[in-house]
Amino acid sequence: MQAFDQPSGAGAPQTAPPLGRAIVVTSGKGGVGKTTTTANVGAALAARGANVVLVDADVGLRNLDIVLGLESRVKFHLLDVLEEKATLDEALVRDKRSETLYLLAAAQTREKEDVDTGQMKALIESLRARFDYVLIDCPAGIEMGFKNAVAGAGHAIVVCTPEVSAVRDADRVVGLLPNDWRPQLIINRLRPGLVKRGKMLSVDDVNGILRLPLLGVIADEPGVIVATNRGEPLALDMGSETGAAYRAIAAKLAGEDVAAPTVRPSGGFFSKLGSLFGGR
Amino acid sequence: MSGRRIVVTSGKGGVGKTTTTVNVGAALAKRGQKVVLVDADIGLRNLDLVLGVEKRIVFDIVEVIEGRCQLRQALIRDKRFESLSMLPAAQTREKEAITEEQFKAVIVELAETADFVLIDCPAGIEHGFRSAVAGASEAIVVTTPEVSAIRDADRVVGKLGALKIPLRLIVNRVRPEMVKTGDMMSVEDVSEILSAELLGIVPDDEEVIDTTNRGEPIVLDETQRLAAIYDKIARRLCGDVVPFSSLDGPGFFSRLKTMWKAG
Repeated sequence: MQAFDQPSGAGAPQTAPPLGRAIVVTSGKGGVGKTTTTANVGAALAARGANVVLVDADVGLRNLDIVLGLESRVKFHLLDVLEEKATLDEALVRDKRSETLYLLAAAQTREKEDVDTGQMKALIESLRARFDYVLIDCPAGIEMGFKNAVAGAGHAIVVCTPEVSAVRDADRVVGLLPNDWRPQLIINRLRPGLVKRGKMLSVDDVNGILRLPLLGVIADEPGVIVATNRGEPLALDMGSETGAAYRAIAAKLAGEDVAAPTVRPSGGFFSKLGSLFGGR
Repeated sequence: MSGRRIVVTSGKGGVGKTTTTVNVGAALAKRGQKVVLVDADIGLRNLDLVLGVEKRIVFDIVEVIEGRCQLRQALIRDKRFESLSMLPAAQTREKEAITEEQFKAVIVELAETADFVLIDCPAGIEHGFRSAVAGASEAIVVTTPEVSAIRDADRVVGKLGALKIPLRLIVNRVRPEMVKTGDMMSVEDVSEILSAELLGIVPDDEEVIDTTNRGEPIVLDETQRLAAIYDKIARRLCGDVVPFSSLDGPGFFSRLKTMWKAG
């Protein structure tokens, strides 16, 4: 096991507290909103006063730094820490807006195969010693990058959009996660208008297949693209409904009793969906 | 005969690789070209769903490579387009199940009897990407006008450059009204950042979600505006000079038009 530097920064606990929770944010399919979810849930948790670190596990195709607007502050990355070219304290980038939110960036010019699963586990463990939450932004796919991202985690959030292909990939990923994890589901980019017209899967359609505890439902809105391009998480925008949805997710993760997300009427329209998962 | 072997790739997932593969392929087939679509996303296949042939899969590419069936047995012919067929990925296997060389051999064999072999690349730049690219002689890079998608596309453009694979760009899910308000990058910006030749501009259209869920390529319905857009992309691939200016309302593409004339 590799040793990491002892905590000393703002996120450091005073005495040995229980270890924080390491949650991987995953999906199988790319582009469904893993990074946006990681940034927003993390920002919302930090806004509640929790010490949070966001880990970009997408070595070679990092983007979490952009979504947080921190790309110009990244000096060292995860592999620098694993290879002892930088200390954890040097590599952690503190968020501009929050005292308790940190980013550990991925290497951009390296390959996912450069990271070893055992090293990743040790790194996440050392982060759990000093943060309440370690959110790991998983790469798309189920290759080495996925395996590394999952290695150190003990919980999972599965992000899925109301599309047949995203549901199929999410189902595949759930099957690859440890049996006892009981991953929680966030349904992202729902367009209630399309659902009503029978042109989009409903929350019930999606979760009828996946059957996971529902952590939240996020509506599709252009504001997310704007916020992402600007590097400002919507979770911190008190006037935004989407921001409120992310804050509700954070509250639920923190153990608060939050009302179940509004469930839209189901059409039973996509009957073909059911047959997809019975086959080989 | 040796057809063109084109990989459809992006780096970032969810930008529309599979939808692009299916619709460009169908548009080419509609023009009489013989087209084979290959799903290279082993373990997370979706091309079959978007094409609506998921129930007709008997064999997959891994079984072909392992010699469990003939290549032609694994091919699924589309029922709407005579000259369109697809080779499915395996769903319950790992990408490491096949090597780059094995993948390339299958693609080259397919190209012997087709005009176009379109390879639907998985997201990322790991083994699955390397295999998908190994069989290709040219590439279509799909991106959306978002900072993260462009950054990932840039990484892929670099990798394709190192492999000396020529590429052209499709900018997908453009929302002209957001570009106008300055909330979205313009196609010109995207193409400039990536310094790549443009093959197509596809506006964001919610009909795509529905047609994808139904497994019906949008090019099937000629009343859809995207049908004409994919047809133009197909014509450009065949070597026709098709101007970009006429595909949407005035204003938005005017800057592009001047760029095109100049270049």
